[in-house]
Parts: sequence; structure tokens; C-alpha cells
Amino acid sequence: MIELSHLTKVYGDTAVVNDVNMEIEAGTITVIVGTSGSGKSTLLRMVNRLVEPTEGRVFLEGNDVSTMPPHELRRSIGYAIQNHGLFPHWTVARNIATVPMLLGWDRRKVDARVEELMELFQLDHAQFANRYPHELSGGQQQRVGVARAMAAKPALLLMDEPFGALDPIIRSKAQTDLKAIQRRTGTTILLVTHDMAEAVHLGDRIAVMDGGLLKQYAPAADILARPADAFVDDLIGSADRPFRYLTLGRVRAAVEPGVAEGAPLAADASLYEGLGELLWSGRDAAPVIDDAGAPLGRVSLVGIAERAARPK
Amino acid sequence: MKRDKIRTGTVLRLLAFAVLLAFLLAPDRFAGLLTPLTNNGAPAIYNQGTLLDLTLSHLFTVGLSTVAAAIVAIGLAIFVTRPAGAEFLALSRAIVNIGQTFPPVAVLALSVPIMGFGEGPTRMALFLYGLLPIFENTLVGLSTLPPAVVETASAMGMTGRQRLLKVELPLAMPLIVEGIRLSTVIGLATATIGSTVAAKGLGEVIVAGLLSNNLAFIVQGGVITGVLAVLISDGFEALAHRMAKRRGASSEARQSDPDGQGSSA
Ligand SMILES: Nc1ncnc2c1ncn2[C@@H]1O[C@H](COP(=O)(O)OP(=O)(O)OP(=O)(O)O)[C@@H](O)[C@H]1O
Ligand SMILES: [Mg+2]
Repeated sequence: MIELSHLTKVYGDTAVVNDVNMEIEAGTITVIVGTSGSGKSTLLRMVNRLVEPTEGRVFLEGNDVSTMPPHELRRSIGYAIQNHGLFPHWTVARNIATVPMLLGWDRRKVDARVEELMELFQLDHAQFANRYPHELSGGQQQRVGVARAMAAKPALLLMDEPFGALDPIIRSKAQTDLKAIQRRTGTTILLVTHDMAEAVHLGDRIAVMDGGLLKQYAPAADILARPADAFVDDLIGSADRPFRYLTLGRVRAAVEPGVAEGAPLAADASLYEGLGELLWSGRDAAPVIDDAGAPLGRVSLVGIAERAARPK
Repeated sequence: MKRDKIRTGTVLRLLAFAVLLAFLLAPDRFAGLLTPLTNNGAPAIYNQGTLLDLTLSHLFTVGLSTVAAAIVAIGLAIFVTRPAGAEFLALSRAIVNIGQTFPPVAVLALSVPIMGFGEGPTRMALFLYGLLPIFENTLVGLSTLPPAVVETASAMGMTGRQRLLKVELPLAMPLIVEGIRLSTVIGLATATIGSTVAAKGLGEVIVAGLLSNNLAFIVQGGVITGVLAVLISDGFEALAHRMAKRRGASSEARQSDPDGQGSSA
């Protein structure tokens, strides 16, 4: 649904984005990862024309974005950034309502949408709707920022390090929530981060950038298993690689027949969580149950270890 | 404790306003207070026109010039902070600065041959004088907005005009109000010299006092102008403070100014 074709941005005489070609499937999360200054934000900002490309084109559903009026284009694309950019003189509710109001929705529809979003992002309407941004915690501000970006139900959401300013616990919850919301709404998300763990956690596909070049663009598992070059390899971190790989798999996939002692594992837990639980409880295997609590079999250290090995 | 302090301030202001009003409405009742300042049986209260009339003319002249200055200065500041006007930034700064460096007396002297005696030259001088503080403050207000906020306004799909009206101007408003406050206060004081070219205003009382060596006139003209300036200035300051506070900018934008009495020029 999004196609980047020979996209290039030159500042001075450096190409900070250099001939990038990408096709992004609708309804997926694509994460752009890379070191600082590699051109990630610039690439993202060319999609909604905050930056105009020096060369190349961006197509949304087949339409060249350079032919659309910028403000209309941007109203159809959600945008959330690290320091959220909330309007300090507007309440939470008014902030979230920004794009619907620009689009001229009627008052009642806007109010209903704001309430719906605040519930979705676990912000109590009675408590927070009339607060100003400076009366919120960083985590709450960030949720308002994302809620605002999604207010007019954009098919595409651009996010530039949206969780960068959050502490690790809130951050991990925000990632999980975002993924759940994305699965429910089917929004296409293009997200920038320099955190590989975040990329693996969220990304259906990962795009690795370095010095303006797109080094590798592949599903997360492929990036981990077959890094295209030394740079990508480095970015993953050789020590972390098997564990990152395990975060992608579910316990369900490693279930074997048999029984085991002790507390059961949920089939939907990641293999990484399963491994941690086995190691910490000092067991070789644990029973596995499904959502309803019915036993499915067991999962073993050996079974998990096999799945942490580099795929042939 | 802080609350007590604010209350005392409010009470004092209300009191000053009440006394001022009483004096303007019935100046003769205060004659006794001022008589000691006169000699040879000269009148204690100005008698060539009512003080109330003069005060209202004074305020009207200042108000008119300041409103005109605000419209031009804010308009100019908006223009030079748009991409289309950026190249005029230095030029407009220079012009406005010249307006400020011109001594008011010179403006009066130069405009009398063109505009004749009366309110015209005074209004012209006050207008020129009012431009700079409002222009500079608006410029600072518009050019020091948090970049993330301005950018998101565009990213949400606001047009340039919507961004200006919905985001930039409201956020710059406390500083703009501060500029208007400065212009008004300067104007209230400067307007007194307008009487030298026959503009109706409180300067008339002071000038009459100087000519007839009547200290009582000088004092009443000066005190009325001073009290007006303090009250109006406080009003603007409270307004700017409230606007900044509502969005939590008070702690950052106006540094450690707990009582809102600071003179951030
Ligand atoms: N407006 C601009 N003018 C000149 N150079 C720019 C401009 N914007 C970005 N750059 C340069 O382009 C390069 C890429 O910047 P970009 O913001 O896209 O990097 P990034 O990958 O998002 O980095 P980070 O992870 O630090 O946010 C940097 O070297 C930056 O200095
Ligand atoms: Mg960036």
C-alpha cells in the first residue's frame, strides 16, 4: 500500500537518504531501525511531506503523494513523535480532537471518538479529559500523543521514536498495547527506533538503515537469522541474537507430548519468557496450557534451545 | 502566606482605583489636601476643564495609538516570521528601532507643520513609540515556540493560517500582551508631553502647574497619570500571567517570578 521509489534526500552534498526502495504491506507494522543520523526520521518525514524528497517518489495506495495538497495528505496520515508535541494550550480532549476538528466532523461524533480513544489508551475520561498536557505524566502524555495521531482513523500511522522518552517498564507496556491496538484496527504503522529489541518486538518487517542506505528490509526472523552484512550483524548484537530470536517464537510452537511438574506456561507466552521461567525455577520442562487452561503437553529446555539455534 | 500577599495586593489596587475615581468625580472635596501646595491663593484643583474629561481624553489618545501600534506591530511580526516575509526581518527591525530612537518631542515638532496642533501629532508619536515593544515581543513569542509543537501542527494537517491562528498566536500571547503592556505604560507617560502641542490630556494640568508655578497642579496631574499607569500595567500583567499559567508555561517561560511583579522587559 505504501511504495517508496528511489527516494533520496540531499542536504548540502550528502545524501542523508540515498535511493531507498521499499514496499510496505497494508495492515502491518514496519520498523525502521538504525544508528543516530542514518536518515530514519528524514525517510519517515518524506512520507507525509514534512520533508520534500530531492529525488524519487512516495506512493500511497498507488497515488503519488507529491500531487496531493500537503495539509489534506497529512490529515489522512497519523503522526506521533518522541516528545509528543502536544499543544500546551489545549486540554487532553481538545488535543485528541485536533484532526477530526480540522476535518470538520460534527461535535457529537468528535466527542464520542475522543471518549472511545481515551478508553482504548486507558485514560479515564472524567479524570483526564479537561487536563492540560503539563498536568500529565510523561507516559500519559505519550499515550495522548498516540491517541491524537489515531483520532481520525488514519489507514497509515507514522511514529518517530514514540516510546523513546519512557522508562523501560512503561515502554514495554506501551509497545505491547500498541501492537494489540494495531492488530485490532488494522492500521498500517511505519515506526522509527534505534532500539533493536523494540524493532524485533513490534516489527512484522524490519528495515535497517545506515548512512542513508537501506541495508536490509526483511521479516524480523530473517534479519536475525541472516543479517545482510556486518553492520546489521553488529546492530543485532551477537550475544543477544539467540534471545532476540526466541522473543519471536511462541511456547505453543515448542509443545511436545508428555507431562511435567510445577506451574504451567501459557501457550501464547514467548519462547524467551518460557526459557526464563524454566531457568529460574530450575526445571527441565514445564506443562503448557491454552487460554482456557486445558493442558496441551509440555515444553522443555532442549526443545526451546533447538529453536534458539541459527536456522539452517 | 502567598495567598495573603496576593490578597493584600488586590485590596491595595481596588483601594487606589476607588480613591482615583472619587478624586476624578469630585475633585473639590480633596482641595483641602492640596491647598498647602499652592501659594498666593491660587486654586488647588485644576479649573480649565474637568479632570475627568482630561483623564478620559488622555486614556483615549493612549488607547487609540496603542491599538494602532499593536495592529501594525503584530501584523509586521507575523509577516516577517512567515517564509515569504523572512527576508524583511532585518529591515523591519531597523525601521521599528528608528521609531523608538526618535525623541518624542522631535516627533511632535516635526509633525505639527504637517498635522497641525492638537491630538494628531501626539497620536503619531505614541504610535511610533508603541511599535517597538510590541513588535519585539511578538517576534520573540513567535520565533521561540517549541519546534516540536509547531511541527506537529503542520503534521496534523493544519494549513499555515490555521497553524498561526490556532497554535502560534495563542502560544505567543503572553509575550504579546507583555509588549502591549509596555507600550501602554510608555504611552501613558509620553502622552503628557502632548499638551505642548495642544492635545487634550493630563499633561495640560502639569504644564499649567509649571507655567503658573502651582505645585498642586503638577502633583495632581502626575499622580493621576502614575496611578493609571500602575493599575493598567497590573491588569495586563495579571492577564499575561493567567494565560501563561493555564498551560503550565509560567515556571519555564517566566523564570522565578513568584508574585508576577517582575519587570521582564
Ligand atoms: N533540515 C536539515 N538540514 C540539514 N541536514 C539535516 C536536516 N535534517 C537532517 N539533517 C541531517 O540528515 C542526517 C539524517 O538525519 P535524521 O534526522 O534523518 O537521522 P535519524 O536517523 O532520524 O537520527 P536519530 O536516530 O538521531 O533521530 C543527519 O546527519 C542530520 O544532521
Ligand atoms: Mg530521528
